[in-house]
Amino acid sequence: MTLLDVRDVTFGYGRQRQVLHGVSFAVKKGVSVGLVGESGSGKTTILRLLLGLTKPTGGTINFGGSVLDPSSRGFMRDYRRSVQAVFQDPYSSLDPRQKVRDIISEPLQSLRIPGAHGEAVAAALDAVGLPADAINRYPHEFSGGQRQRIAIARAIVARPQLVLADEAVSALDLSTRIRIVDLFKRLSENMTLVFVSHDLGVVASLCEEIIILERGHIVESGNTREILDAPQHPYTQKLLQSVPRMPR
Amino acid sequence: MTPLLSVDGLTLKTGDKTLVSDLSFSLGAGERMGLIGESGSGKSLTAMAVTGLLPKSIVPAGSILLDGQQVVGTLERTLNGLRGSSVAVVFQEPLTALDPLMKIGTQVAGPLGRRLAREGKSPPRREVDREVLQFLDHVALPQPERIANSYPHEISGGQRQRVAIAMALACKPKLLIADEPTTALDVTTQAEILKLLDSLVRELGMALLFISHDLPVVATVVDRVTVLRNGRAVEEGPVKAVFDQPRHDYTKTLVEAARSFDNALEGTA
Amino acid sequence: MSAADELTPAVVTAARKPRWSPTFTIGLILVGIHVAIALLTLFWTPYDPTSTTGGRLEPPSFIHWAGTDRLGRDFFTQIMIGSRIALIVGAGAVAIGAAIGVTIGLLAAFATRFLDDALAATLDILIAFPTLLLAMLVVAASEGASLWSAILALGIAMSAIVARLTRILAKRVLQNDYITASRTSGTSWPGVVVRHVLPNIWPTLSVNFALQFGIAVIAESSLSYLGLGAPPPNASWGRLLQEAQGTVYTAPIGAIAPGIALVTLVIGINLLADGLRDIGDPTRRISR
Repeated sequence: MTLLDVRDVTFGYGRQRQVLHGVSFAVKKGVSVGLVGESGSGKTTILRLLLGLTKPTGGTINFGGSVLDPSSRGFMRDYRRSVQAVFQDPYSSLDPRQKVRDIISEPLQSLRIPGAHGEAVAAALDAVGLPADAINRYPHEFSGGQRQRIAIARAIVARPQLVLADEAVSALDLSTRIRIVDLFKRLSENMTLVFVSHDLGVVASLCEEIIILERGHIVESGNTREILDAPQHPYTQKLLQSVPRMPR
Repeated sequence: MTPLLSVDGLTLKTGDKTLVSDLSFSLGAGERMGLIGESGSGKSLTAMAVTGLLPKSIVPAGSILLDGQQVVGTLERTLNGLRGSSVAVVFQEPLTALDPLMKIGTQVAGPLGRRLAREGKSPPRREVDREVLQFLDHVALPQPERIANSYPHEISGGQRQRVAIAMALACKPKLLIADEPTTALDVTTQAEILKLLDSLVRELGMALLFISHDLPVVATVVDRVTVLRNGRAVEEGPVKAVFDQPRHDYTKTLVEAARSFDNALEGTA
Repeated sequence: MSAADELTPAVVTAARKPRWSPTFTIGLILVGIHVAIALLTLFWTPYDPTSTTGGRLEPPSFIHWAGTDRLGRDFFTQIMIGSRIALIVGAGAVAIGAAIGVTIGLLAAFATRFLDDALAATLDILIAFPTLLLAMLVVAASEGASLWSAILALGIAMSAIVARLTRILAKRVLQNDYITASRTSGTSWPGVVVRHVLPNIWPTLSVNFALQFGIAVIAESSLSYLGLGAPPPNASWGRLLQEAQGTVYTAPIGAIAPGIALVTLVIGINLLADGLRDIGDPTRRISR
């Protein structure tokens, strides 16, 4: 079943600065996708479009059979329930003046999701491996990795179908990064993950499918394993060769 | 032969908090060593201590002998002579390391002019300009004339980092400290910069102290590594030995994590 | 490194205990005295403020602590009532300035580029006028001088400064990822303002309000001094100072007493403003 269907999407500021040139791909339920590209590839723009923060200048994004329209309140209410996000910088993505309880329960309150919010927050905290007494603390009392766990708890508390992650482990230390990647891996068993990253190693360990972007074009896409084993496009080959490896 | 840099029992404190404790290592002329550590390990502070650029609130103890000169507790004026001639630094963020209001050519001419003055030369302006272009060419920047006439915001991040390296090289230092020089760059740019650093350091016979949290990156440019954690050296040795058979648990965790991403790429996970 | 290691209470280095500094305490005491006196005047004053209870321009004595004024009224009673007027003026002007200023500032922060530029330019022009001059214009435009026209005038004059500050602070907050995260959590723009923007701009804003409070008190005194403030029998310190001008050599207490009252209140408020900065900032607090 197709969750998201991106059809021929373009985006640009005026005629000179075209950021995306006719991008098409589909996200299938239960199949995690990695969007890989360097700065200027348009991966962040795609993410903003998928989050409904910006409108494409051309083409359409379909979700569950209807077109994603950021100006339609009714649609966006349902869409936000189904699609949540995790951002790159765990220091900027949590409001420093809110307690962890308020941070995690924000989607429940804003989307007016019925049920016991306290229990949902506790379940989300448990799912990301944080102690239950974290709810009464402020973000600055946590390390970078723990903060990212809080951000992930906020993203999953409303039980969305799709989680969009924007470089969600790039700002973390290696030993923390591996654990957050493991957490994402575990969570992706129950929800679909779209993981935007410049890091091929992270995407390779998380995503079944991969989309390689270069300057607003999809240069290659498909099964992650197949593409990494036999990259067809010269840019994919260059990207793969550039990744520093441990000495053998 | 005395080593170019010898750090002995270095301890850095701020208030009652110890940031680096009892750190010792040494680096001979032309040697290349990596300082590996995650955030809070004290790796960047160590680099600043070596150049004598610690913030006032951080108090160093122990000994840092750089090119025969004691750095700890030495007057700023003496250290100023040391910087440039003995040591130069390339920082993580090339945009903030360059003056946004100064043309690239003028920025590179600064340290170059100071070195020439140190060597007792005062060549005419035109000759300095020519040498600036040579340095820009040396770090493989295309169209050196155009770059020299540009402002930092007019060139790409990778090009800015090349300029920063050119500035460090213009000093002809005996020791080059690179503090996470590729962390802010794209993967393909990172590969190019690493290759450039590697070849330049070999060619000019400089010693390199490479500071990074990224194990595979460190492995591509250095021979030896010291692993720092919370201000303490937990392991030290040749890259191959440390990465193949890490002894300390922390090093093991890091190596395993790095390898697991490698394996995911190779499909051997 | 074990999983538990990452879970150890983390980088609490930034956290400091709230600084209950001596300056803050002094500020609290000074302002507290004025508030207590102001409240007291609602029920009791040493003498009736409007009736003649002694000779003209008597020097300070045990009967009249600060002497008497030109009409033989108790001067200490006038000073006490002055506290009440000063606090009403300060609070009223800040309330009006905050209501108008924060609204306009938030609108500008959220507005389209064009509207924001227009608002910012307007505010810059308004701020270029001295607060006092602006207030004088407003008083002149309203029907005669009264306490309320002075408060309204100062509030309006203050609102431009508050609006500009709010706009800058709000714009900075809006750049944070937690705003985007809040939007993608399904929070509406008004919800974002209430949940994230206001709490995050409040600490800086509240310090500014306290400073503006002090400025308003001084400005009202200046207006009264110029005859544009609260008319008699409202005993504004500014008017008392003005009345004392002619007799400053023969009865210096007439200028000294309201001067001391004015200075202690304004200094107290400024010290309080400094202390306020640290309180209500969770990054400087360790919750247990």
